[in-house]
Amino acid sequence: MQTKYLIIGSSHAGLTAAEEIRVHDQDGALTMVSMEDCLPYSPTILPYIVEGKVDEKLIYLRDEKYFTDNKITFLKGKKVVTVDTKSSTVTLDDGTKIEYEKLMIGTGSAPTIPPVPGLKEAKYHVLRTMEDARKINQAAETAKHAVVMGTGLVGMHAAEGLGKKGLEVELIRGRRRAVLPNYFDGNAGKLIHQVFLDNGIKCNLDFQVKEVESVNGKSKVTLSHGEVVETDLLLVGTGVKSRMDFLGDASGVQVDQGILVDTMMRTSVENVWAAGDVAQAADFYGDERILTAILPDAYEQGKVAGLSMAGDETVIQAFEEIGGQASESYRGGISMNTFNFYGNRSFAVGLSLVSEEDGFEIDTMLFPTSCMYQKLVFDGDFLVGAIGINVTLDPGVITNMIRYKINLQGKKAEFARSPLDMSRRIMWESWRGAIKTAG
Amino acid sequence: MPEKIVLDGNEAAAWGARLAKVDTVAVYPITPQSGVAEALSTFIADGELQADLMDVEGEHSVLSVLQGAAFAGARTFTASCGQGLAFMFEPYFRCPNFRIPIVMGIVCRDGITPQCVWGGQQDAMTVKEVGWIHMHCENNQEITDTVVMAYKIAENHDVMLPVNVCFDGNFLSYAAEPVEIVDQDIVDRFLGEKNVNWHAALDPERPMGIDPLTGLTPEGGAMFSRYRRGQCKGMQNALRVIPEVHREWKEMTGHDFAPLIEEYRFDDAEYAIVVIGSMTGAGKDAVDVAREKGQKVGLIKIKTFRPFPVNALIQTLSKVKAVSVVDRSVNFGWNRGFLWQEIMATVPFLQKKIPVTSFIGGLAGTDITVEHMLETINVAENAAQGKVVEETIWIDQL
Amino acid sequence: MGNAYNTLAVYPEKCNGCGECEKACAKVKANSTDVVHSRIKVLKSLEDGFFGPVVCMQCGEPNCVKSCPAGALSKNPETGVVEWNEDKCVSCTICTLGCPYAGIYYNPLMSTVVKCDHCGGDPECVKVCEPKALEYRPEASVYNDQGDLEDLFAPGLAACLGCNMEILVRHVLRHVGPDTVLAAPPGCLPGVCAVGFNGFTGSKVPSFHPLLTNTASMLAGLRRYYKRKGRDVTALALAGDGGAADVGFQSLSGAAERGEEILFVCIDNEGYMNTGMQRSSTTPYGSWTSTTPVGPSLPGKANDSKYMPLVMLMHDVEYVGTAVTAYIDDFHRKVEKAYQASKRGFAYLHVFSPCTTGWRYPGDKTMEVQRQAVATNIFPLWEYEKATGKLAFTHPVDNPASLENYLSMLGKFRHLSKEQIEHLKNTAAMRVNILKAMSEQGLAGYQNLKVAV
Repeated sequence: MQTKYLIIGSSHAGLTAAEEIRVHDQDGALTMVSMEDCLPYSPTILPYIVEGKVDEKLIYLRDEKYFTDNKITFLKGKKVVTVDTKSSTVTLDDGTKIEYEKLMIGTGSAPTIPPVPGLKEAKYHVLRTMEDARKINQAAETAKHAVVMGTGLVGMHAAEGLGKKGLEVELIRGRRRAVLPNYFDGNAGKLIHQVFLDNGIKCNLDFQVKEVESVNGKSKVTLSHGEVVETDLLLVGTGVKSRMDFLGDASGVQVDQGILVDTMMRTSVENVWAAGDVAQAADFYGDERILTAILPDAYEQGKVAGLSMAGDETVIQAFEEIGGQASESYRGGISMNTFNFYGNRSFAVGLSLVSEEDGFEIDTMLFPTSCMYQKLVFDGDFLVGAIGINVTLDPGVITNMIRYKINLQGKKAEFARSPLDMSRRIMWESWRGAIKTAG
Repeated sequence: MPEKIVLDGNEAAAWGARLAKVDTVAVYPITPQSGVAEALSTFIADGELQADLMDVEGEHSVLSVLQGAAFAGARTFTASCGQGLAFMFEPYFRCPNFRIPIVMGIVCRDGITPQCVWGGQQDAMTVKEVGWIHMHCENNQEITDTVVMAYKIAENHDVMLPVNVCFDGNFLSYAAEPVEIVDQDIVDRFLGEKNVNWHAALDPERPMGIDPLTGLTPEGGAMFSRYRRGQCKGMQNALRVIPEVHREWKEMTGHDFAPLIEEYRFDDAEYAIVVIGSMTGAGKDAVDVAREKGQKVGLIKIKTFRPFPVNALIQTLSKVKAVSVVDRSVNFGWNRGFLWQEIMATVPFLQKKIPVTSFIGGLAGTDITVEHMLETINVAENAAQGKVVEETIWIDQL
Repeated sequence: MGNAYNTLAVYPEKCNGCGECEKACAKVKANSTDVVHSRIKVLKSLEDGFFGPVVCMQCGEPNCVKSCPAGALSKNPETGVVEWNEDKCVSCTICTLGCPYAGIYYNPLMSTVVKCDHCGGDPECVKVCEPKALEYRPEASVYNDQGDLEDLFAPGLAACLGCNMEILVRHVLRHVGPDTVLAAPPGCLPGVCAVGFNGFTGSKVPSFHPLLTNTASMLAGLRRYYKRKGRDVTALALAGDGGAADVGFQSLSGAAERGEEILFVCIDNEGYMNTGMQRSSTTPYGSWTSTTPVGPSLPGKANDSKYMPLVMLMHDVEYVGTAVTAYIDDFHRKVEKAYQASKRGFAYLHVFSPCTTGWRYPGDKTMEVQRQAVATNIFPLWEYEKATGKLAFTHPVDNPASLENYLSMLGKFRHLSKEQIEHLKNTAAMRVNILKAMSEQGLAGYQNLKVAV
């Protein structure tokens, strides 16, 4: 088959790209391929499926009608096997060949399995697809005990979910000796860790998994200090990597940890774009290209890719002329996330992990007994990062202050005293044009 | 058989409009025209005429509603005179420029002041230059017939100009005469399908802008001039169309009226009197009397005054040695009559110059008698013999 | 054309920080007196007196919707409201990362995110906002109703920069549609292309240039004949105040009295602006014009304006309305009523239409001048329908804004003395009192009125 636009992947990046394409080109043939045999959904929702917080039937992001209304051919349950960029052809696992004019890869990421002896041969779960979630839920029906490997978002989240299902859960860290080390600093991590302990999750950050062995349908997990834990359900959540195995060297698409793209989400090969977790794109802070693998970046990048694929030539040309700094282009990834656990809420934005030694000014407020924490990171007169646990702040407003580099003009102390009101006011005045932004 | 009924001149005019099956009638009363408005209103009230009766608040609106209706495609009629015509003048002097075939009676009335509500042709003569066709009637039969014929003339595609059917206040408006009413189906066949706004319409099915701004630039000026030339051409075409229409009318009805000018007892005439409107009757009687006495006099009746039938007049005037012209209005600029001025303007086209004597009379509803007319004949006879009176002769001073 | 949406408009300069909106919201959304439940938040800074309501903007391209992994947020294509589905929400709060306006946020008492939903099109907060810092603006309906209709006027026109007429003529023509004949008597409108130049016309409906004096009459004849022929053609006049209140008044009055089926719109720019800003009978007292100049012996116009809307009402016509384009939804509503009424009888719409050139104000203030004229009761908005016999204010102003402010915006009033301003105030108050009496007691109300101002 032939198509003008081909999008591989149907989560946030792919969906936003399709939407943007349809803004500029209502009729060009648009095909979307999904490896899973279901309507589009967000992988972010999976821990909630495990937790049982929401019914699987409710979480799909688009229905069939959407694809009909928008003239999108949606091919589900089809995996891309190869991409031939010379003939502009993609081959699916059922042998179908799709000739494209413009291709966007938004295949997201796949779980990484740590090199723990015996793990690969053992029976374990991951949580990256709907099928994974179903399997976990199925296993959890009879399981009494679970071991969750990894203290990142997926692991923590799944541990809470399994615990709430009544399983005895032991949470074991991965490489780094902290909870949520990608987003939260030590203070925050301790608070979060404590809440998990208080809720009956066994979690000693001193240990790692040393070896895994399958015995009578169960998994025997040997920890680094020698303790052996026998469990009914082993979940590995130690990280993800870009899903780009179908790109052989012959495709010519340059990759590093992910597919390398410029700020219009173009890869090194003409007529091929990439966005979302799979893309290694500009960093907001530096010149290196980074993998952020977070939801907000996925739709930002998807939008840019869609515009670039279908957009008006003059916009693209203007973008070229000003060296990739157009407002339509990708502004660079800022680390950000929210994490809600046992009724507590938290978020981390920007340079949340840096310390004063790195030359930043840091204002913290910590109330361990009420599980409250606020961290504001300043670089000179600019807010560059924040962490909040159970504090009332608008993460989106804070993010924009960082993104648009709002100069606090010596009012840092005032800001630290009442960041909610001040950030809202700054938001108010800046979008009404009263404050000129640097962005 | 056509029926003969007794009508005054106002009713005769209304009958003409009725026979023409007009669609829109606008009325506003004024002496001596009110009878037209009343008769039309009655026709409509009685269901004898299927038309909108627009009883508006003044003559200005009378002609304005007709203009609107005409642009929508309506056949229209009204009548006015004197001060009414003066008040109407703003839409009136625009009407021919619109090239819409409105027919309107002017029940000729003298101008105030001194105050006067009676006959005289000061009104019609004052407005004659703005582009309407003017036809003057001699009697009530001619009024009815001319109103009908006026539609055929006005709506002719080579003409497309409004027509005034002029008849004298008091002398015709209030004079009852038998009038033969032509069968409706004959009139219907005579007039045929109306097509009033084929050229310029205010119709959403044929959207166009009526009367855009022109002029100022050479292109705009050229457009304006082209338009004016077109109007002039329409007027000149009317000199061909009016006789055709009268001929056809005669063929279909037997009613025979001279279309442009009428020569009366002209066979061996050596001099003549020139008359217009209702005075023609007295003039013809006087000519008969003078002929009895052996005076070789003829009469020229001006039926069509605008466009001025100059070629017809050249032929007629060439037959005589002198004329007396009787005006029922005053041309202040010349201190004579308007008709006199027109005849004088024709004289240079003759092979031989002839003396033309101006008479003014019958103002403010007063009569022009056979005796007065006999005097005009005597003056013409004297002039033909070289005894020319240069000054205007006021009939009331005879 | 897509849908446009009604707006919950925020005017921070009017906000006094009273917090009534928060209370109303908490009450209606959570039946609580705790304003933590309010979905609108008032920013307050006592230091510099800054107040600003913060509430969801119902973005056109909402980041919260894109951020939501659960499909719990969606923009309703009909209403434009960004809707939150409680059944789908997993409280991940990623939406709050996406929203740059603090429009959606976590309510710790509810353990969910909350956001404004416009109360289904009738927001409670607006009702309680005394200083009118919040307004629910239904203008979008105008776009939705009219957006797909053909613009019946030329793409370009030759009006002065900031002229109110363009918006007026486009909206009116679009509304009444192509089965219309437009009469544009002498004035700016035919000049800016309604009838056109040298054979080219600017309107897509048949249009003509009546005399300044006979607009209503020409239309009357036209409409009557079409009606006789069984065709429903709208007879529309867009006439200036000279063509309506002065020299055009006789034919207007006559047509109104006869109940001619005409939609007569008077574009009142308070004088003969096309011929060089001479006074007309609708020029206000004290106003400078080129024929009511200001000098040591003359202080501007010596007489009050002729208040045409009431004059026309007394003709017992089908409809009389006063309107401004600055309140375009109200404008369209009245055009519609006038249009419908013009199928039964005479309809008169009097539009206050500032003239940037003749009134001497910057062209970008045309809308503001109109709003101020309404706010000061210089030009009250009302309508009368014969069918109901009722006169009703459509934008009642109980506490008129400062007339001095309004006058100071306009060069033509710059010279006014205190006494002259007082005179204008009294005239405005008197007119409003008459209208009020009529709205409360029916048309005879003015007879019972003891004018004490």
